[in-house]
Amino acid sequence: MMILVGILVTLSGFVISVLSLALSSNGTRLAVVVLGIAVSLFGIMGILNRAYLKNAIWKKG
Amino acid sequence: MKIASRTLLTLSFAVLCCWAPLSLAQTPAATPAAVPKAVTDADVAGAPVPSADARSKGDPDGSLTGTASDIAVTDAKKGATIGDLVNQVGQNKIAINFVWTLVAGFLVMFMQAGFAIVETGLCRAKNANHTMMMNFMVYGVGMLAYWLIGFAIQMGGVGAVANLGGTPPLNAEHVITLFGKPFGIFGQSGLFLVHRGTYDVSVMVLFLFQMVFMDTTTTIVTGSACERWKYAAFIISTFLLGAFTYPLFANWAWGGGWLANLGTNFGLGKGYCDFAGSGVVHSVGGITALAVAMMLGPRIGKYERTGKSNAILAHDIVIVLTGCFILAFGWFGFNPGSTLGASGNGSLRIGSIAVNTMLAGMSGSFAAMLYMWIRYNKPDASMSGNGLLAGLVAITAPSGFVNPVASVIIGLIAGVLVCISVEFVDRVMKIDDPVGAISVHGANGLWGVISIGLFADGKSNYGGSWNGVAGSVTGLFYGDSGGQLIAQLLGVATLVGFVFTLSFVFNLFVDWMVGQRVSAKSELEGLDLPEMGALGYPEFELKAEM
Repeated sequence: MMILVGILVTLSGFVISVLSLALSSNGTRLAVVVLGIAVSLFGIMGILNRAYLKNAIWKKG
Repeated sequence: MKIASRTLLTLSFAVLCCWAPLSLAQTPAATPAAVPKAVTDADVAGAPVPSADARSKGDPDGSLTGTASDIAVTDAKKGATIGDLVNQVGQNKIAINFVWTLVAGFLVMFMQAGFAIVETGLCRAKNANHTMMMNFMVYGVGMLAYWLIGFAIQMGGVGAVANLGGTPPLNAEHVITLFGKPFGIFGQSGLFLVHRGTYDVSVMVLFLFQMVFMDTTTTIVTGSACERWKYAAFIISTFLLGAFTYPLFANWAWGGGWLANLGTNFGLGKGYCDFAGSGVVHSVGGITALAVAMMLGPRIGKYERTGKSNAILAHDIVIVLTGCFILAFGWFGFNPGSTLGASGNGSLRIGSIAVNTMLAGMSGSFAAMLYMWIRYNKPDASMSGNGLLAGLVAITAPSGFVNPVASVIIGLIAGVLVCISVEFVDRVMKIDDPVGAISVHGANGLWGVISIGLFADGKSNYGGSWNGVAGSVTGLFYGDSGGQLIAQLLGVATLVGFVFTLSFVFNLFVDWMVGQRVSAKSELEGLDLPEMGALGYPEFELKAEM
């Protein structure tokens, strides 16, 4: 389940960045693209990686 | 006093002697301007050619070879015409570009050997055969996937590649409309290199060059996944990367896709720019490596129960650094070759691109060595090698658009970034990356993409435009308003958000199908016998456990 959420959040970061193209001001575009990258990174590091670390072999000893 | 005046006199005379011819050379005598005379077919046909008798005696100094007699003539009765001459000039230009691109492609192909020994040297001796075999077969598996479908997806709609004579059969891009603008999504010509007239000399050259780039991407993943990746999983994963993931992003960046057209459609600089592939090749490889390494989990013994990371030592640092040199050598094909020519459309910038490449590699290795020396009191060999590669990865995208000073800065940042990123991936994310591929190729690939938006100096001129937008690629530090940086960041967002997701889903599928990871027993024994059936070093005494 966490993996599915992670995938969706990571992909949604990309969608947010692409949506910046609908805006006209470069300043706002820049902010939205950076937000999109941050969301994707959160999806990878904060959700997906954490999901895998939960069951990491080294934690089992 | 007398001696001093004589010396002064002699010096004055010597200066005058030197100056006189120079002065004369600078002020030539005025001559009447020659009246231009139109060249006719008769002049061309009558151009002197060496006699058959003279040629039959041999040509030791080369003065009789390569003359008017070597020009291809359409009508032997009429002899050479101006049309023949012009056609010969055109063919010579394309021939130069073909040879340049092919030789550059051959150099890039040789990088596979560099990757193979870097990765094998960095793993343990008990996995040497397995790691070498992954690096060896990545060439074949990747190429098969790319020939079957990948090339068509990537380049099937690229349109005219002027330096290679036009590539007219590659003219079918699947386009959707978004925000009222056309978005190129994937190419549709070139399946098996015969589909829709792609059995064409220009297309063949383009295929060879692009194929070796794709293969570089696929070989990056094996580094992060080595010592625990099931061989069957490696084969399927590599096929999917070469057939779909890489070609799709490469189409968007290089094949006439939507990222390349951000400039024409949305006024964002010259669109997403990636001269030789920091993003297309290295980030795609590094990000896929991240997805696979995350899924595989760390090697047994890499982390203690407390989460403390243990170093698992390389078995042969000599071949690691030799491999780094082979890679640096191959990079002279990677970056300068990306002009796809040495004649026409600004291709003479190849010298500048080659110098930028070597400078960034130098500063990257220096920065990494100094960082490790200061932080850990020793100039670490493997990280110095990774610093060299990080500098080369980072300069790959901007190499065609920046000056030498920027190249050194980009390399310096890359050299430090790779060290910090390796520590972050290892200690914070707790992802086991035996060769540092995620940091070298992933992190520094992204840095290379961003650096164009900052350092491109607006001095390059590849035929007067880039991605269909007139003018030179210019970054924020050289007067751009920020549009180019946004285009580059959109490329980063696509790599991190879309390419990662696609790679991750593909590898989940592989995991479901055959399982990604070998058994603990095989891993402890070493993968050479369980997976490959033979040891890499049969005369070594191998440890069953680390």
